[in-house]
Amino acid sequence: MATATAWRTGRATTLRTWHMTRRAYPWTYAVGTVLPAALTIALGYLGFHAIGGGETGADFEKGSGTSAYLAYLAVGATAFQFTVRLILWSAKALITEQRQGTLGALLIAPATRLPYLLGFTAFAVLSSIAEFLTLGVVIGALGISIPVASAPGAVAGALALIVAVFALSVGLGGLMIAAGEAHISQNTVFIVLGLLCGYTFPRDYLPGYVRWLAEAFPTTAAMDVLHGTLTGGHTLTDLAPRLAISLLLSAAYLLLGVRTLPYFERRAVERTY
Amino acid sequence: MIDATRSAARVFAAESLKQHRRLFGQPLVVFSMLVWPILQLATTYYTLRPVATASAAAAHWPLAADPHRLLAFLATGTLAYAFFFSLVQSAWHFSFERTTGTLELLFLSPAGRLTLMIANGAGALLQNAWLLTCFTTAALLGFGTLSVASWWMYGVVVLALLIPAVAWGAFLNSLLVFSRDSAFLYTVLDEPLWFVSGVRLPHFALPTAVQVVGAVFPLTGSLIAVRGALLEGETLGTLAPTLGWLTLLSALLLAAAALILRAGEAHAQRTGKLRLA
Amino acid sequence: MPDTGIEVRDLHKEFPVRDRGLFGPRTTKTAVNGLDLDIPAGRITGLLGLNGAGKTTTIKILATLLRPTSGTVRVDDLDSVADARAVRRRINLIAGGERMVYTRMTGRENLWYFGQLYDVPKRELRARIDELLSLVGLTQAADTMVERYSRGMTQRLAIARGLINDPAYLLLDEPTLGLDAPIARDLRRVVARLAAEGTGVLLTSHYLAEVEELCGHVYVIADGRHLAAGSPAELKTATGSLGTVRVTVPRVPPAVAEVATRFGATRTPADGGGEILTLRSPDHMAGPLAAAIVGAGGAITALEIKEASLEDAILALTDGTVPGAVVPA
Repeated sequence: MATATAWRTGRATTLRTWHMTRRAYPWTYAVGTVLPAALTIALGYLGFHAIGGGETGADFEKGSGTSAYLAYLAVGATAFQFTVRLILWSAKALITEQRQGTLGALLIAPATRLPYLLGFTAFAVLSSIAEFLTLGVVIGALGISIPVASAPGAVAGALALIVAVFALSVGLGGLMIAAGEAHISQNTVFIVLGLLCGYTFPRDYLPGYVRWLAEAFPTTAAMDVLHGTLTGGHTLTDLAPRLAISLLLSAAYLLLGVRTLPYFERRAVERTY
Repeated sequence: MIDATRSAARVFAAESLKQHRRLFGQPLVVFSMLVWPILQLATTYYTLRPVATASAAAAHWPLAADPHRLLAFLATGTLAYAFFFSLVQSAWHFSFERTTGTLELLFLSPAGRLTLMIANGAGALLQNAWLLTCFTTAALLGFGTLSVASWWMYGVVVLALLIPAVAWGAFLNSLLVFSRDSAFLYTVLDEPLWFVSGVRLPHFALPTAVQVVGAVFPLTGSLIAVRGALLEGETLGTLAPTLGWLTLLSALLLAAAALILRAGEAHAQRTGKLRLA
Repeated sequence: MPDTGIEVRDLHKEFPVRDRGLFGPRTTKTAVNGLDLDIPAGRITGLLGLNGAGKTTTIKILATLLRPTSGTVRVDDLDSVADARAVRRRINLIAGGERMVYTRMTGRENLWYFGQLYDVPKRELRARIDELLSLVGLTQAADTMVERYSRGMTQRLAIARGLINDPAYLLLDEPTLGLDAPIARDLRRVVARLAAEGTGVLLTSHYLAEVEELCGHVYVIADGRHLAAGSPAELKTATGSLGTVRVTVPRVPPAVAEVATRFGATRTPADGGGEILTLRSPDHMAGPLAAAIVGAGGAITALEIKEASLEDAILALTDGTVPGAVVPA
């Protein structure tokens, strides 16, 4: 019974978002997520050829397990763009409702929050396909080919990343509506994740204590799996421990987010009075 | 002439207070002018490190061989970009005055329109940039990578940043005040700006087409002047062509701003809509 | 500079309208269609009409925010288009219902800011700010951020802003819209005082009682055109506006019934017995009616006289019941 209701909520949310977005597509979102990734890859491409002369330093190979710098960067930049997009949709779902004035209506409805947020996530994942294709064109145009060491591993890594970002978004969304502010929080999260989680460079570059800090994010282990099973030459079995860590951390963040969300929602309503 | 200058000075004072009140002590300024640029600087440094540490790198780009000099290069890029991007943000904010109704009041007053645009940008710049400037100065001194030909080159650096930035701000203000969709302009000017202006890469690494596009943005010229003066020990003489180009570009931006203001206001007076089209 | 007032001659304003997107047919909407107005110094002139009549468009043209399609607007002999900047120094606009102040500055700073833009002489600015704050009752809150002001306080600040340059001509577009009654009353007093001191005022308002109280001369427009003009009293007379006389009588014997018929009064039952005789008539008919009832042997328990109102006059004009009339100012 509860599952059926949850499914209805999630499905309704996905459809609602689809209809609204079809009518007024937020082009600034799309441009704002594809451009940074495309430009980062272009930056790496130009640097690789004009500065590096087609080579990379030894510590890169040691840290990443590959000399395919451009492929590594392409995977990382695409994954980061996807992370940003997912956060923009899922974490900002509630504060968008708040700004539109519909949060009250949502809060008094008997539906639970998780299916609602999952509905947003489903929409974001599905609609990312268009953006992936665009980035794929850029990557292809630059002549970058991405090796796939383990296809099941890559799929598992991608799924782990989706779960990790979703888990982070639940709590982040709550914080946003309680504070009534999204710009500072979202951009800070983007930049911190981009620096710590090993998207566009091997985490070995970072100082020791910073690497420890990065382990607190489920996205870090997920990116290890993704990089490892694409450019890193590893199998899923090799990276199963990292996958497990990512999923466990995601579960913890999800639990924390779901537990604290009602409190944040109450704060949000009180704040507007 | 004296009266006009005096009135303009009063407009500057007024806009400076307005921007001070809007920005000073705001968490957003601390984040967007200090925290994010520093974190982004670190990310860019690490992202480029694989190619900067390649064996062939030192031959192509000597600066890359020294991590401190590479960081200094990127830090100056960060500072200059923050300067110019803060004006994109304040122009976007200025365009909101249309919805609050205060824009109409500005046009109701006898204050010079171009003066208002310039003053608004300059006020925002002053409020936004001091934090990051302090940090960058400290960092550069700490890295020990400064190589300045003579003391007055510091003045050249300041002018090469401020004047084009203010002209850029005035141009953006005029444009965004009359644009239907300012959010789009904001997005377009965000990422591509650092790419085409050579914020994160030396110019020689950029394709010619990109360099040509980049030349149109005052940030590009400012960066060449600032990096040349602070990191390469270049003199006024060697930087003369760049500075000349910057001066011309600044004048063009101000002229364009004046034109947009005149056309925009005339259009608004004809149609009742504050828009260019 | 001579105080010749604001002179509007043959004012026309058309707006281009696109019906459907970028490629739809282009038409024009005529908002003002040949208006002549005179707003002299030292007088409060009203501009009335239903919604969509062209009042706000006219005021915005006078404020130099809009440009006329044709016709001239002269302010103390300065052309509002050619000499826009000089005109802006001499006028100001207060639009009711809109806040139009900076929330991240204090009340005092807002006034200082606009004082700078209007180049108010420095020696006078400080004193004027204090004076204006006192005038609108914001002295205590002068150094508090406007974002903490109540709605009424923000509106009062907006009024002060409209007076910062001590304008020779003040344009008021529904200034008391949404204001609490005491504040609205204070504003009316301020406006009356300003006019007495020589400021020329143009007032548009939907509160006709306010217009009647304040305006020495009123223009009535509809569809951007002149309908009538004159003092409120002249407009009422010219449109033959009728007041109402209601006489309550305990009984209606045949003689009193005959009086009612003769005067053309309607009869309705009164609560608690008796009848009310109602006559729509010019004010002076109350006495003769009462005398006739008493003369016919009837008694009067209550007599109520409702005067002809400006609202009746405007309605009569705008719904075409009475043709327009122009009464010279």
